[in-house]
Amino acid sequence: MIDISLFVLMLLGALLALAVYLPLRAGQLSLATPGFYTIGGTVAALLSTQLPGLGGSDAVYPLTSLLLEMIVAIAVAGLLAFLIGKPVLKLRGIYLAIATIALVEILRVVLLSSPWFGAAVGIFAIPQPFEGPEGYLIAYGLLLAIVAWACARLERQPLGMAMAAIRDDELAARCMGVSTDQVKLIAFVLSAIVAAAAGVLAAHYFNSWNARQANFDASITTLAFVVLGGSRTWLGPVIGGLVLTALPELLRPIGDLRLIVFGLVILLGPIFIPQGLIKSKQS
Amino acid sequence: MTATPLLELKQLGVRYGNIWAVRQLNLSIASGECVALLGSNGAGKSSTLRAISRLLPAAEGQILWANKCLSSFRTESTVRLGISHCPEGRRVLAKQTVLANLELGAWLRRNKKAIKIDLDYCYQLFPRLAERRLQLAGSLSGGEQQMLAIARALMAKPNLLLLDEPSLGLAPLLVDELMQCLAKLNKDGLTMLLVEQNVYAALAIAQRGYVLEAGELVLEGTAQELRKNSNLRRSYLGDE
Repeated sequence: MIDISLFVLMLLGALLALAVYLPLRAGQLSLATPGFYTIGGTVAALLSTQLPGLGGSDAVYPLTSLLLEMIVAIAVAGLLAFLIGKPVLKLRGIYLAIATIALVEILRVVLLSSPWFGAAVGIFAIPQPFEGPEGYLIAYGLLLAIVAWACARLERQPLGMAMAAIRDDELAARCMGVSTDQVKLIAFVLSAIVAAAAGVLAAHYFNSWNARQANFDASITTLAFVVLGGSRTWLGPVIGGLVLTALPELLRPIGDLRLIVFGLVILLGPIFIPQGLIKSKQS
Repeated sequence: MTATPLLELKQLGVRYGNIWAVRQLNLSIASGECVALLGSNGAGKSSTLRAISRLLPAAEGQILWANKCLSSFRTESTVRLGISHCPEGRRVLAKQTVLANLELGAWLRRNKKAIKIDLDYCYQLFPRLAERRLQLAGSLSGGEQQMLAIARALMAKPNLLLLDEPSLGLAPLLVDELMQCLAKLNKDGLTMLLVEQNVYAALAIAQRGYVLEAGELVLEGTAQELRKNSNLRRSYLGDE
């Protein structure tokens, strides 16, 4: 019997994969997603534990407060992504990836060393808006549905078309009048917003939050979601996130071998299905 | 010419680091003209086009569009003004359909009806693109990709089309076909700046031409004069 909490984690994986997918659609390999995810979680953890007014009178944490946290987290992550994105997006290809890894590391060190954010111990006893994992399943399902729907729409909008054009040929896109700097920045900010929203729910779900959520492993895992799932349409990252989150758990019966199998899947995936599981619809 | 030229380059200089690609270039194009910019590899032709569409900064001199200086403009603003740059090497989006490529060309435009009219015009000009509109651009032949690149540039509804070596890598028959299409576009009123190494083909459709050598202007004149010029014939047309 598979635990319902696995499904919650799968949905979280799919959301983070979409956050990686957004800049990648515009050809930008950003590994900053766990960083913005951590910012979202930290904002939620701080607000819900430090502001007694948000808790309300009931035993259950009010949903309106959760929504408020989400708005604050989105604003913080979005603003940070905007400020950082301007200079960082001048870097290309692998250099952007390196800079965003550094960003995640800096964030982790800052959070680890500052007592305001719980330092190395983390923030505990984050209040629960739902009584069981079912509530989180619905909340994550809803969030994923909204983000996936928005991504699907985006792909057919001029903005989404411009993003794909930049990925395929940036100079051609510029010649057609696409403001490439602006489009890249928008994709980066949207990605940060999605990751931060996922982080807010995660902080409540895990009940505690610490800086170790932002690490290099997480950057690579979320990237693997998109690499295996495919990065041409929104469905690829969703499938990749669901499958690759479930895989290590489903393989648990084979013990330590599971990580080897997991590694093989990530290794062989790009070799045998270079476009990912989900290809674009055109022939 | 007494009227204000559509585009005027005054003492234009372009450089990559310490190396000058173009120096002190004076050039003007009147509305409705087709002007050829000729020269061998590395003469500075592409750099000139890139400076006009602001893909490269001008190191010195001025680029004037209807007497307005373009030096503070970004590429997207020049497209908005009506300068459409069809870059060297086709650069179609290989993994997207012909139609998606053409739609991208009209990216800055919002008037769907006008876009549809221009799309039909492109299909009429290049019927093969209409046949293949749902194919991936990467599956087209070289000539078809060049047609697509030109059609995509036309979808921006330009006043001035900058063409960078459209004949590059095409079979002679295809070059003729393409040049006839360009001549037709010019006859329909489109102003063009045509960069070419294929001097014969370019001077067959252009009214005037400029010849660059190592970044400097060495010759200019009407197409007829240039065709007769003995230096040019020796350098590019293989006369003894």
